[in-house]
This record gives sequence, structure tokens and C-alpha cells, in this order.
Amino acid sequence: MRKFLSIVALALLSLGAGMAAQAAGGYAKQKVVYHINYDDEHQLAAALGNIKNHISAVGKDNIVVKVVLHGKGVDLLKIANSNPDMQQKIVNLKGEGVAFDVCNNTLVGRKINYKNDLFDVSEKDIVPSGVAEIAKLEQEGYVYIKP
Amino acid sequence: MSQGKRFSDEFLNAFVDNQLAPEEKSRAFVEISQDECLNRQVCELRKMHDLVQHAYREPPAPPASGISARDRLRINLRFGAVASVLLVLGIVVGREIRLPAPDLQPLSARSVPTDDTDVVGTYQAVPPAATRVNAAESKQPRVLIHVAHDNTAELSQALDDIEGLLTYYRNKHQSARVEVVLNGKGLRLVRADTSKFAGRIAQLQKEYKNLTFAACQNTIDRLKREQGVIVRLLPGVTVIDSGMAEIMRRQNQGWTYLQV
Repeated sequence: MRKFLSIVALALLSLGAGMAAQAAGGYAKQKVVYHINYDDEHQLAAALGNIKNHISAVGKDNIVVKVVLHGKGVDLLKIANSNPDMQQKIVNLKGEGVAFDVCNNTLVGRKINYKNDLFDVSEKDIVPSGVAEIAKLEQEGYVYIKP
Repeated sequence: MSQGKRFSDEFLNAFVDNQLAPEEKSRAFVEISQDECLNRQVCELRKMHDLVQHAYREPPAPPASGISARDRLRINLRFGAVASVLLVLGIVVGREIRLPAPDLQPLSARSVPTDDTDVVGTYQAVPPAATRVNAAESKQPRVLIHVAHDNTAELSQALDDIEGLLTYYRNKHQSARVEVVLNGKGLRLVRADTSKFAGRIAQLQKEYKNLTFAACQNTIDRLKREQGVIVRLLPGVTVIDSGMAEIMRRQNQGWTYLQV
């Protein structure tokens, strides 16, 4: 009897697996945190390209992306103020649901006024510590990528 | 060999098994990092410890029962056949049921903006959102920071980041553990002869007892082999067998990883 029950359970399990595999459509749902702490324009443009490709591979509805900027990485949003290409890339990614989180320690340490110096940052985009934010997101199940 | 006797074998084993009280442990870290002989002893113990753990990951063999081997084979074959038929049936039925019924799609139906914690791999069992958030909050943060470069400006920033993280947890009255792993060029940060930040590191170590710097033994060995450099580390810097292995180990233990 026990063996019979275990076989039934196995069959139910495989039924569930069949359904789950279908639901994912190739990739399971993903939560990803991208870490940027450098200010080289080529490297930044490449990183934004990575994110764009990542989203199109997995599908916009299948992925949550957060970009955490700290240290020199905050300069991405400075560059975006003067470089229309970079600005367009950021606008496009935001349109796909990407959030850009800015480290408050950096803002204070480098005396940056996010309202005047950075492109399209509001209070909700500020996190107390970029590094602690990444650790927190990883604890919540986000996968860490440093492009 | 008076140094070798400073700690008993039991003490070192407890150290490797992570069963020491925090004060004893930090004392051990300091002593071990200053004594090459002890260091090697700990490395050997760690290796052994990993091997033992590896061996026990294999499931134990099932106990023999009274049925003869031939009978058991026959029974197993019969149940195996029934199980595989049901397995295939299950998969086929599963697909069939799913395709014509879009409202059975639990994943896309759940894309409520407030519920982003629900987006996880479908292969694992997930507790309800509320308990998961609480678990994440109450859990002691354990962060591994990987440094593998020796760019002075970036190292200065990296130390700022590490200090910022430690201050953040201290201000939130959260007990956290932070381990900085140094391998490759990153080792230069904690070498007594090359570090440009010896004072800063000593100050951080003094200020934050929950911070450890861990140097990669493989890198140390390679420097000796390829350049004849005998590495001397800054006081309080501990040694791990391999930086990469440590990164994998810590992540498997649930530590979060990031690179600065």
C-alpha cells in the first residue's frame, strides 16, 4: 500500500513538473541585482547593453532587475546628463522596469546633489548604503552580477 | 615546536569546525595568521574536514532485508516499470491540462507589483512571503567581499565601502559578519611588504571585531613558486586554502557575495 501511495505521489509530482516547465517558457522567473562601481564610459555602456540583452532573453515580464550604483558607479547618472546616448539607454531600461538605486554614503562622501547633478533620480531611488543594499537583495533571493 | 603546542589538537579542530566562542576564535585567527607552522596545520585540518563532509554527503546504503536478492530484483523491476509508465503519463497529462487552460498559469497571474518577492525559481519549495521576509530580516547578515585587484584608488574606495557596510550594520544594531577574501593581485592589500593601507586595515580590525581579512594560500604558494617571494601578511590576516573555494563554500553556506 505504501509503495502504491508513493507511486501515486511520484505521478502527481511529475504532473506538477510538466506544468511548471511549461509555465516558465524556457527561463524560470529571475531576480537580478547588477553591481556598478566604476565610471569608465565604455564599460558602463557595455554593462547597460548586458542588462538590455538579459531582459530580452528572459522576457520583461519574467525578470526583476535592480542596478545598484555606488562609489564611482554613481557617475553613470552624471554622464547621462551630458551624453544623450547614455541617457537614452537608461530611459529605455527604466521603460523595461529596471530600477537604478543610488548609494547615499557616496552622495554624502562625494558631496553630490542628486537633484541637480544626477539624471532622473528621486528620493525613492536613494538607498542608505549601496553595498548593504546588494547584500540585502541577495538575501532576498536576487542573483548577483557584476558586469 | 613550542608554537605548535600553543593550541591543543581539540582546540584547532573546534576552530576548523567553527565551534569556538567569538573571542577564542578571533584570538586563534590572530595567532594562526602569525605562525606559518600553525597555519599549515589548520589548512590540513580544513582539507580533512572538507573531505569528511564530502564523504558523508553520499547517502548510506539501505539495510539488507530478509528477501533474497533475486526476489528483490523482480519486485523492483515490476515497481520500476509501473512507476515509469505513471511518470510518462503524468508528464503528458500535465502538459495537456495546462495548454488549453491559461487561467492555470500561477506565475504570470501573480505579477502584482507589491509581490516581487514571489519571483523565484519554480523548482524549490518556498515558504509564504511573510515568513520569508521576516527570516531575511532577523537573519544575521554574512557578507563575503572579494578583492582581486591592486588598483590603489579602487582599493581605497573598497575599504571605504567595507567600512560603510560595517557602520551601516552597527547603526542598525545588527550583528553581521564580513569577510574580505584576497586572492591574485588582491593579496597585495594584506602583504606586509606591499600594502599601502596597513594602518587603515589595523584600524578597521580594531574597530570591528566582526571583520576578517582572509588571504588565499594558493596565491601565496604561487608567489613563492614563480617569483621566490616569501609572503608575510599584516597582523590579524587569516589564511584560507583557496580564495575561489572559500567563495563557493561561503555562498553554499548562505553568505552573500560581492566584488569591490
